[in-house]
Amino acid sequence: MQSREARILVVDDEDIIRIGCQRILQNPGFTIDLAENGRVGWEKIQQKSYDMVLVDLMMPEMGGLEVLEKVQAHDEQIITIIITGFATIETAVDAMRKGAYDYLPKPFSPEELRTKIRRGLEKRWLLLEAEELRRERDRNLLELSNEKSRTMTLINCMSEGLIATNRTGQIVLMNPAAQKLLNLPPENAVGSTVEGLLGNPDLEKLIAGELETAARTATVTSKEFAVAEERFLQSNTAPLHDEKGEVWGTVTVLVDISEDKKLDQLKSDFVSLVSHELKSPVAAIAGYLNLIIDGLTAGNPQKEREIILRSRDKADSLLMLINDLLDMSRAERRGAAKVKELLSLAPILEETIQFYQNEAAAKSLSVRIEGLENLPRVVGNRDDLARLFANLVSNAIKYTPERGEVGVKGRKRDGHIEVAVSDTGIGISKEELHKVFGEFFRARNALAHKISGTGLGLAICRRIVDDHHGQITVESEIDKGSTFRVILPVPSGQ
Amino acid sequence: MEKKKRILLVDDDPDFVEINRMILEASDYEVDAADSVALALQQLEQNSYDLLIIDLMMEERDSGFTLTYAVRSDERLRDLPILMLTSAQEKTGFSFLLSEDQEWMKVDDFAAKPLKPAELVARIEKLTGKGAQDAKP
Repeated sequence: MQSREARILVVDDEDIIRIGCQRILQNPGFTIDLAENGRVGWEKIQQKSYDMVLVDLMMPEMGGLEVLEKVQAHDEQIITIIITGFATIETAVDAMRKGAYDYLPKPFSPEELRTKIRRGLEKRWLLLEAEELRRERDRNLLELSNEKSRTMTLINCMSEGLIATNRTGQIVLMNPAAQKLLNLPPENAVGSTVEGLLGNPDLEKLIAGELETAARTATVTSKEFAVAEERFLQSNTAPLHDEKGEVWGTVTVLVDISEDKKLDQLKSDFVSLVSHELKSPVAAIAGYLNLIIDGLTAGNPQKEREIILRSRDKADSLLMLINDLLDMSRAERRGAAKVKELLSLAPILEETIQFYQNEAAAKSLSVRIEGLENLPRVVGNRDDLARLFANLVSNAIKYTPERGEVGVKGRKRDGHIEVAVSDTGIGISKEELHKVFGEFFRARNALAHKISGTGLGLAICRRIVDDHHGQITVESEIDKGSTFRVILPVPSGQ
Repeated sequence: MEKKKRILLVDDDPDFVEINRMILEASDYEVDAADSVALALQQLEQNSYDLLIIDLMMEERDSGFTLTYAVRSDERLRDLPILMLTSAQEKTGFSFLLSEDQEWMKVDDFAAKPLKPAELVARIEKLTGKGAQDAKP
């Protein structure tokens, strides 16, 4: 601090004083400026910042007291020392009252001047240092409050709920997400105790329990609990410690896991459904084999053959089911494993119809094809789209009685193409129509007609269409027939 | 020769009907089959049986209970022995215990599907033996 250069202005109308001061104060640590009267001095003060001003009390144009007043108004941290030839107590007291730091009676010795200057500068440096510290503190406070408001903004924007409590279980912080997750009224919960407030004894106990055990452990406790019908939260509670390691409270983060739970449930429902569908044919095969092993068919080769044929049929249907399951998981798989290309549907549809021609002919069905020639191309996976239309065409043939009609009709709409596969078959009842694209759905009348199927064909169709950003719909009437429409987007520029 | 015992097998799974029919015929029972509650009630009306074997789940999840209830409410049929077969355990997650559930299920015995032939026959012999004492001449 002391090493900095001191800028000093000497204002006096007497040349001898000005020159004298300059000589006495000649020192590499000082920059000395001189002014011959108050007005010039005041101008200099306004142009340049001084640490100290020595000003003569009695001057023409502008007196020392006036300069002192102006300096004080300009910057009260400038040290002003009054030089006076009439060293009376009154003038000195008057000057000091107006803000002068000290006064120097004329004549003065160089030593007296240096002493006054040194002390004045010490005061000046202290003032500057204090000012600097004050600024720094203000800056820190501002930063702290910015930081705090940034953190609060973050906490308030989180989709996870956050609750902090103190040692006695009082809530010291709760963000809007926590209030929403716990279905709490929007009133400020800060300051209330946890007990009874969260409306969730599990969570309250967890937080309170955590407070008791927290002193010993520093780990996170995770819990899952229901907040409402089909709404589940996961809470992670951890103790907060102060700098001495004392438990200060807890912090709890709440995450809504309802969707995960729902997906888990769907998955396990599906697994149990699949297991059952797989078990039935295997159990039947095992049952038939037991008949032969236990000798219940002995001596009746015709019966034995019948049992073996039935077992083979069961094995076939099991294989069909497994293939459908594989197709279904294939239809759901996305990404690099599946190539999509710009392709024309006409050859795929024609091949499919060709493939099922014998089956249609066996039932004397007429198959009508319309509007496939000029269909614009679509972006799709060739195998998936072939499977989609194979399922629809084979269903149409399977569910249509003899001498019926199956139609495959293509049509262009704006930005889309539509392929309708229609039949004059047994149809689907209104009550069951909305379930046809679900897994393992079999229509009652299909079962009554003993038409076999895995109940996965249309579920696979829906997955394939979904994967191609399309839409599949059905219209049907019992004993009149069904029409399945597949709508696929056409890329622009065709 | 003693008259063959007659059993009504109520199950909508044709494979199980076929398998159980062969097992029971080999043990010298006479077997009729029905694949719905309605058909079973019709057969019970027309014929006289020594045992009823019911699959719990047919058209509805509780078809077996519906049929059992109808049988137990009928003056003429209330003492007919019933063996309830069920694959309910893996479908619903519920399992039954004869000691705990017999009271409300009102059946004489029940077993999880599938049963090994020897065990099926053993259970049926026990039930029809008991049923024989009440049977009309």
